[in-house]
Amino acid sequence: MSSDAVLASRCTACGAVSYPQHCLCPSCGGERFEPTPVEGEGTVVSYTDLYALAIDFEQRFLRLAMVELDSGVRATGQLLHETPAIGTRVKATVGVVRRQGETKIHGLQFVPV
Amino acid sequence: MRRVMVVGAGMTKFGRSSETLSQLMCLSSVAALRDAHLGDVPVDGVVVANMGAARINRQTAIASALVDRLNLFPATAETVENGPASGSSAFKVGYQAVAAGMADVVLVTGVEKMREVNNLEGTDFVASMSHPEAEYIYGVTLPSLAGMFARMVMERYGVTRRHLALVAIKNHANALRNPYAHIQQVITLEGILEAPEAIVNNPPIAEPLHLFDCCPVSDGAASLVLAAEDVAQKLGKAGVVVAGIGQATDTHAVHERPEPTRLTAVEIAAERAFTMAGASRDQVDVVELHDAFTILEIVQSEAAGFFPKGEGHLALERGETAFGGSLPINASGGLKARGHPVGATGMAQLVELTWQLRGDAGERQLQGARCGFACNFGGFGNNVVATLLRREDR
Amino acid sequence: MAGTGDLEALLRPPAMEMPPYPPKAITLASGERMVVRQASREEVPILLEAIAPLLWVERDFYDVVAARLFGELLAYKRYRVRDEYVLVGLIDGVLAGIVNGRAVDADTGMSYHTITIRRGLRVGSHLFAAKMEYHVEYLGEKEVLIVAESPIGFRRWMIEYPLSKKYEVQHELGGVPSWVLPRDTYFDAKPRLVSGTRPVPDELLRGAETIILPGDDTVRRQVTGERGGVECAE
Repeated sequence: MSSDAVLASRCTACGAVSYPQHCLCPSCGGERFEPTPVEGEGTVVSYTDLYALAIDFEQRFLRLAMVELDSGVRATGQLLHETPAIGTRVKATVGVVRRQGETKIHGLQFVPV
Repeated sequence: MRRVMVVGAGMTKFGRSSETLSQLMCLSSVAALRDAHLGDVPVDGVVVANMGAARINRQTAIASALVDRLNLFPATAETVENGPASGSSAFKVGYQAVAAGMADVVLVTGVEKMREVNNLEGTDFVASMSHPEAEYIYGVTLPSLAGMFARMVMERYGVTRRHLALVAIKNHANALRNPYAHIQQVITLEGILEAPEAIVNNPPIAEPLHLFDCCPVSDGAASLVLAAEDVAQKLGKAGVVVAGIGQATDTHAVHERPEPTRLTAVEIAAERAFTMAGASRDQVDVVELHDAFTILEIVQSEAAGFFPKGEGHLALERGETAFGGSLPINASGGLKARGHPVGATGMAQLVELTWQLRGDAGERQLQGARCGFACNFGGFGNNVVATLLRREDR
Repeated sequence: MAGTGDLEALLRPPAMEMPPYPPKAITLASGERMVVRQASREEVPILLEAIAPLLWVERDFYDVVAARLFGELLAYKRYRVRDEYVLVGLIDGVLAGIVNGRAVDADTGMSYHTITIRRGLRVGSHLFAAKMEYHVEYLGEKEVLIVAESPIGFRRWMIEYPLSKKYEVQHELGGVPSWVLPRDTYFDAKPRLVSGTRPVPDELLRGAETIILPGDDTVRRQVTGERGGVECAE
């Protein structure tokens, strides 16, 4: 994962986009993919405030969500929205989602539109 | 394929144990072997179900170790890992060996010694089942997946926190009759939901799930001895037959499921088990579901085909799934109160069904139990094993 | 020649006027009601008896906590600690947990220990919060200095309240760099973390007059969690 994009996979044979990557295209079984960023606007499918956190996290809770982007791709990420609900409109951005020691890990952060 | 019977059953008390991983699996195995009264009949194979030994207990190949501890050489041995469904998967592997004629007698033991590490380590270990790049890195844990699932189900079908609390209250009450249960503690609606103190008594874990919606972290082991029908008959122990086993998988990343409120793998696994057994849902008397989170008991009861989709919570509310109801679910206390040593749970469910079918379930005996169903839920529902056991009349 | 009375006065710390902690009743998850009240010096011997079995349990620093608490309770009884208080949680009169601390001065509190005997019902959370309630709302302090021996237990309070660092202060428990609960943070956290009703109904209070000891075996088993109730998020 780079620090500017989270990548989904577009099958070069049939054009279907899947995220996360599978070895073979879930639609046609194709083996070759083009990276395509998970981006744009979407709708919250569900979310949760998680209190029992892993050791890397020192905040009181972590807001996570599954989002369906308008492109049809779904993704899981952190939700930076104060008043979420199922159906809330959000936008995909990329930010630091976790620190493991000195390493910064980038991933999807969904923000208000 | 030969018919396979369950001829021996045993388990340890679940909870926080001072025993080591090795001691736990031995205690449970010896209990089941003694119960089987094999006499001169040798054990041909050993299958061990476990998820965390390599990481938590720093041991691998523990089935081979169990053969050694029990002096069962040169029996075959495999360790089976299928997350929280390891127990039923190991049972399936043992069953297949006997059914195929490759073994006459197989010992299957599920074991987990979780409390060798602290809760942070434990949470992370369980979270390792989630998709590494698409879920885990975000801080996703199993409770968070369950929380998101619960929210969708609650919004779509009108399940409320009160329904979830009723599951926990029922299972805690049931466990009072189960001497093997980790938690024997009455809880009340007032204490966990209605009183102002409930916010401290029952704090959020992964909203809308709270503390008492989540099963505890437990140590323990559970074992069964499987035998080919003719061997079982010679032993005079041909009472419980393995009628059906079904398994199915689903997407790893939960967000990829076409309909995320459906537990598709449960639906398919259950259907496969019932088809293999030639049984119908109304023949089932005793049910063990995988209530790692209270919401899962409700939705699994629907997905397994006992209630229409979206009506599991109504059946619960009517008391149908209570100990005295028409379809008691988790009379043992379920994962919520019996406890959840990850690799052992699937086996504990089947030990419980065996005892119920034999009439050996003590104070929690369900009268006239003839057919039992268990659902063992791996990952967050991406690998599910369903099993049907039936009582055979001699 | 100075008599022992004068020497005693030398060795006995000065005592500030400390308002008593008004008892409260808390409904637990089990539906049982726990009375949280102050314990007197006369009750110390029974508390010592309760925690003695833990002096030899190494797991999770129980031995250190029990040993230190033992000393603090004795010192409280024998007037060798300045302005110490002890609160107990009682369920049907049976001891469920003990918390203690002391007032450093009008503005500062020093939290000592929290020991939970009855597991699975958040007794420790309730009693720790009661302690903070005493410091902030009854002693009127501006902040409470806090550390703990067990890292996992402490982490939860650190994150839950949350606590702030005050590393320049050495906490009395071993000189460890201190954390602090400021008054404002306490009030922000209060709706989430502090509960209970006052006054305690007469009958319930009467039932909490005498501390009943849980069995020796019960204490060790309950506290170390062997076959006890342990929740997944602790």
